[in-house]
Amino acid sequence: MTYDMIFSLLTDGCFAAVAAVGFSTISKTPSRAWLWCGLTAAAGHALRFALLSGTGLHIVAASTVAAMAVGLLAVLFAPRIKCPAEVCLFPALLPMIPGMYAYRTVQALMACIASQDESQFIHCFYLLAYNGFTCSFIILGMVIGANIPIFIFKTISFRATR
Amino acid sequence: MNAKTSDFLADYAATLLGCGATCIRIEKNLKRLAAGCGVTAQVQIMPAHVTLSVSDGSGHSRVISRPMARGGINFDVNARLSRLSWAVADGHLSADEAIERFQAITSEAGRSSQWRELLLASVANTAFCRLFGGDPASMLLVFAATLVGYRIKQAMIARGRDVRLAFLAASFFSASISAAGHVFHLGGTPEIAVGTSVLYLIPGVPYINAVSDLIDRHYLCAFGRFTDACVLTACLSAGLCAGMYLLGLYDL
Repeated sequence: MTYDMIFSLLTDGCFAAVAAVGFSTISKTPSRAWLWCGLTAAAGHALRFALLSGTGLHIVAASTVAAMAVGLLAVLFAPRIKCPAEVCLFPALLPMIPGMYAYRTVQALMACIASQDESQFIHCFYLLAYNGFTCSFIILGMVIGANIPIFIFKTISFRATR
Repeated sequence: MNAKTSDFLADYAATLLGCGATCIRIEKNLKRLAAGCGVTAQVQIMPAHVTLSVSDGSGHSRVISRPMARGGINFDVNARLSRLSWAVADGHLSADEAIERFQAITSEAGRSSQWRELLLASVANTAFCRLFGGDPASMLLVFAATLVGYRIKQAMIARGRDVRLAFLAASFFSASISAAGHVFHLGGTPEIAVGTSVLYLIPGVPYINAVSDLIDRHYLCAFGRFTDACVLTACLSAGLCAGMYLLGLYDL
């Protein structure tokens, strides 16, 4: 692993942690959970970055695997902070949302409507479908992947606040 | 049958549903709490209501229905209510003490600092922009766009405006402000600034809860939460489209 790769992983993790802590305030996460939200998000996002750049895995598969790791960490951290696992899970997943795919889907939709001829429309429709499908399947993979550890480790997940 | 206890259980379930708890958590917490109060409770969870059938050991039962508590996603309340159910189940609190604690939790629910939330959400979205490869100029634009858009959303919701309208307005203003990068040629990644500027509005919690409910076979709730999330996503997309159309950013 090169120095550049390590640096990219660390910066990626740091910005994901900042994003997770910031977004956790929107859902009124208790402040004692912020550190763990940040750590979970950093680990999940850095793992996805490593899978994408290191193994060439498709973004849908990489996001699903990273979301499962986030779910697992959230379940492990939950008893430590006496909070339900979802408290760490949701903010930590948000930095992995495929925002640019979503944006390009909307942009392609508008271009479809504004297109002047058939070939232009077909190209825009291809972009709409490609970005829309990729975005939808990333989100689907993420939410399923993140929920699996909660249901596998039900005993830990639902006794964390005891 | 103690009406006070059964009302408390119904309010507890409605509050958990309103603060963004998953169906499996509502069921588990409620059954635990009911057992601690010396009754049994069966709960039917609908997308916007909960119906409880509470029975005591003497053969008396009571059916109560409550609309979902309206207060928005609140994980602090979710965590505190979960702890409350364990405190009652483990015998640390009586039913009356639990009711008092519950009232204290719900009355404190909305008391978080709006300004702190505004600032942290803006910083978070700026970090998001950097994660997508945005340069410093785009990050600055996203910070300003989020600050304005999020404040609009907070103000509209505080004044009782429809949440969908608030999402539409917030996304329109955020997209329009972040489009300054395109219009005035600021920085090298104006597209990332526009794309990231509305991401703070993505209703992630309902999407994730919908899948959790689906896995736990609460199909109606799953569908309800998913539809809610899709409507909000459509509203934010409409705001984004309007902003992009106004500033002519739809050329690929």
